[in-house]
Amino acid sequence: MSRYETNVVLYRLKKDPAFRDRFRANPGGALADADLSDEERDAFVRWDTRKLNELGGSLHLLVSIPGLGGH
Amino acid sequence: MGRIVYAAAMSHVLYPDYYGENVGPHGRRMVEELIGVVRAMGRTLMAAAPDALVVVADDHLNVFSFDAVPALCVRVGRSVSRMVQADAIEFDRALDGLPERYPLHEDLANGILEKGVQAGFDFAASWSAPLDHAFLSPVSTLYGDRPVPPLVPFWVNCFVAPQPTAQRCFAAGRHIARVVAEGPWNAAVVATGGLSHFPELSLARVGQSDPAFDRRIVKLMEAGDHEALTALTAKELHESGSHELLNWLVLLGAVSPARARVRFFGEMGRIDLAALEWDVA
Repeated sequence: MSRYETNVVLYRLKKDPAFRDRFRANPGGALADADLSDEERDAFVRWDTRKLNELGGSLHLLVSIPGLGGH
Repeated sequence: MGRIVYAAAMSHVLYPDYYGENVGPHGRRMVEELIGVVRAMGRTLMAAAPDALVVVADDHLNVFSFDAVPALCVRVGRSVSRMVQADAIEFDRALDGLPERYPLHEDLANGILEKGVQAGFDFAASWSAPLDHAFLSPVSTLYGDRPVPPLVPFWVNCFVAPQPTAQRCFAAGRHIARVVAEGPWNAAVVATGGLSHFPELSLARVGQSDPAFDRRIVKLMEAGDHEALTALTAKELHESGSHELLNWLVLLGAVSPARARVRFFGEMGRIDLAALEWDVA
């Protein structure tokens, strides 16, 4: 369970505009070095916010990423 | 000998556009009504002329990250900045245009921290954490354009499990009241957040609140039944979406056994809004 890593990626998406831009352009490439399970990586690439939340992703991060917030 | 000269708690997204966008016209109207009530409360607060304003609120993963989440944290230092974030979402657009820095009441903050650690509270201290909407939306609504007294920001970890218990938050509030009483300064205490929203911190349940739970909680505060409130479990708070009541529990500890007066209560659907004052004079 890499809840910490999931939230580290979400926190970077919220706080780091350059990382956010890279993620938008190429999600898989932006996450290449992230220590995520296949399930977590897939949820990020598909930007399935409910799945990320079910996997332990912080609701407050998920709803507050500029341009990507999932309500 | 210092006194707590004013105490209140209130919801902390005092931003009509957010509710207009996410709830609709009735959400906008309800929060506009609440803002009017909070401004009136601000006049009472200013008349009480506190030397320091203790604000108890939570972080929304704006200030602390998963690298370290303090259970309870005192902001120390000389001044504190407003959080600035490029492309902030609606919550934090409420901060646009506010002053960039606010003075801190360094002596009271240090007293709460140092005497707390001596008394067995392992408070964290931060010299750099900025303030997000949870602090500045209520403070700016209470004070408007008038000068804000030196602040003592106090964070409670409401959202990253495991949170501190209701009892521990209440005890921290008792401690704050003792430190105020031992010092020469009069203080106001304001707690923010709530009422119920974001049950279980589940994205699938965003949009739901628990009005029956909120009505019960407010009645307990009016009755001064602090035993029942400190008995609230993490499970109850999580399932009802009442995580931010932990901030209110710090305030309850600070003012106990005072009873609350309800200045505003509104059931919006997505969240229930409230503003309460305690008779501390």
